[in-house]
Amino acid sequence: MSLLRNLARRRLRTALTVTGITIGIWALVVFGSMANKISSIVAIGSDYYAGKIVVTDKSGGLSGDSPMAIAMVDDIAAIDGVAAAVPGVSTLLDPESNGGISMPDMVVGDLPGEDHGYNMYDARVAQGRALTAEDADSLVAVLGSDLARKLGKGIGDRLEIRGMTFDVVGILEPTLTAPDTTAIVPLAAAQDVFYQDLPPIVRQNVQANQLATDITVYPKEGTDVESLAARIEADIPNASAMTGTEFDGVVGSSVAIFNAIIVGVALISLIVGGLSVINTMAMTVAERTREIGIKRAIGGSRARVIRELVSEAGLIGLFGGLLGLGLGAVVVYLANEAGRSSGTILFQLTPQTAIFAVLFSTILGVVAGIIPAWNAARLDPVAALRYE
Amino acid sequence: MALLEGRNLRKTYKLSRRNEVQALRGVDVSIEAGELVAIMGPSGSGKSTLMHLLGLLHRPDLNHGPAPELSLGGRDATRMSDGERTRIRAREMGFVFQQFNLVPTLTAIENVMLAGEYAGLGRREARERATARLTMVGLAERATHRPSELSGGEQQRVAIARALVNDPALVLADEPTGNLDSHRSAELLGLIRKLNREHGQTFVLVTHDPEVGAACDRIIRMRDGLVQAMELVGEPTPGDVGEAAA
Repeated sequence: MSLLRNLARRRLRTALTVTGITIGIWALVVFGSMANKISSIVAIGSDYYAGKIVVTDKSGGLSGDSPMAIAMVDDIAAIDGVAAAVPGVSTLLDPESNGGISMPDMVVGDLPGEDHGYNMYDARVAQGRALTAEDADSLVAVLGSDLARKLGKGIGDRLEIRGMTFDVVGILEPTLTAPDTTAIVPLAAAQDVFYQDLPPIVRQNVQANQLATDITVYPKEGTDVESLAARIEADIPNASAMTGTEFDGVVGSSVAIFNAIIVGVALISLIVGGLSVINTMAMTVAERTREIGIKRAIGGSRARVIRELVSEAGLIGLFGGLLGLGLGAVVVYLANEAGRSSGTILFQLTPQTAIFAVLFSTILGVVAGIIPAWNAARLDPVAALRYE
Repeated sequence: MALLEGRNLRKTYKLSRRNEVQALRGVDVSIEAGELVAIMGPSGSGKSTLMHLLGLLHRPDLNHGPAPELSLGGRDATRMSDGERTRIRAREMGFVFQQFNLVPTLTAIENVMLAGEYAGLGRREARERATARLTMVGLAERATHRPSELSGGEQQRVAIARALVNDPALVLADEPTGNLDSHRSAELLGLIRKLNREHGQTFVLVTHDPEVGAACDRIIRMRDGLVQAMELVGEPTPGDVGEAAA
């Protein structure tokens, strides 16, 4: 109580110090949330690729949707070490969109029951239901949470995709990554969607139901994934086989650089915030040298005087941390809300980040307070009393 | 038995690398328990420094010259750790400093309570005693004012209440009447004499004011860092002061 009272009676000084810390912690929260978001995308990508091989056409990019012949599935399944090969189609929901800087809206063809018990996406359904084997030939869709919100669609609504009309039967729980902006439809429907947009010259030569954009290969237990991927690339012409390790290598390293930049920025903001705490604490203690001298002279022990100053510093750090966290959370929320319509969700404030920010701030306040408090309490009381 | 016994007390302040001030050049002093003593002398004569040494706020210089001795109730104060000296200041001494030196963020009563808490009193007891002491100095109504809201004389009286809150055996005061008008000054001296006579508290008052000196049992006159003379005032008190005056 007396701590709070002391701070309240030095209102201006306290407010300035808290503001300094708040800014540092605010930056930490915002940039930390951005780093979280990026690494969670990478982590989910890693999970998605972990333990399996995704085969695409060599001419396509990472999420490229170049057509592949579905017949390839049988060739791949015949390769030694392959437990199952599941064809899939994924394509842009709106072919005109360039996807922006975030994840583009996708249509993904799922073949319910055909993935041999392996789950492509481990997303849970929030409303309605998931696709089942009975849906194979119908035009139904399960929407990711962000996509549903963006399109304003709910269960029972109809969704137009490139001229085809789907019934929305389910909405997924938010996953904070790719499935949030994805419409999952039966494979046949996805093939039709994809087929429509192929150049006429390609369309003449293939049937919609012969198309895939990727084939997910599940290795048999005990099979070395890397060497299996190499065998697939060797045996199947034009196949590009991506394993989890490769994914981490390709995507992970570029994201790691971005992450490092963001963490660097957050660290700089921490250092700036930290220095402002240290500076202000040192000033505050210097201003109070006489007061410390009085307390020491009338019998306040060094430990007690240090404890008082340090707990004030810690409390200031805690206030600054909480305020910074609050402001950071507001900014993260507003930015995500503003970006949601365009699918640009840039921030993810995790409990760990929040707790870290507040703890960091409090501990920094304490550490920053200790040294000047120690110096002041070590002064000869008479010297401290004479301090002007 | 002497409450305070000092021999060869020296103190040199280093103002800069080349500039030193010898504030005390070797002082022998003895204060009896229950005495009311004034330390008088011109500015710079070392009287405040002597008070600080007797109040364990400073350590006497140990180098150059005969080893200093300072005993407080039989305990050797030259060998005490900072913690011990702090504890003795808190529990056995009361201080009034020249510039009142109240904690600016605390109210009058909180300032007085602080000394009580440092001496180990619980909050409630500290509050009760602080209230009693503020009443004694006539400031009960101003208890919740902060120093900036009090006049110089009022601040001085808060500092006196603070010095008395633990009923210390020894009260050391630097110019306690310095900021008081003659009426208040006389009142304060009356209070000090009363406490001295009735409770046997020992007072050491550093002062310029001849009236304060006249109200004491004995005057220690300082000049240039040395004791120049010791004078008994009025009726003699028990204790052999004649020897020390030589």
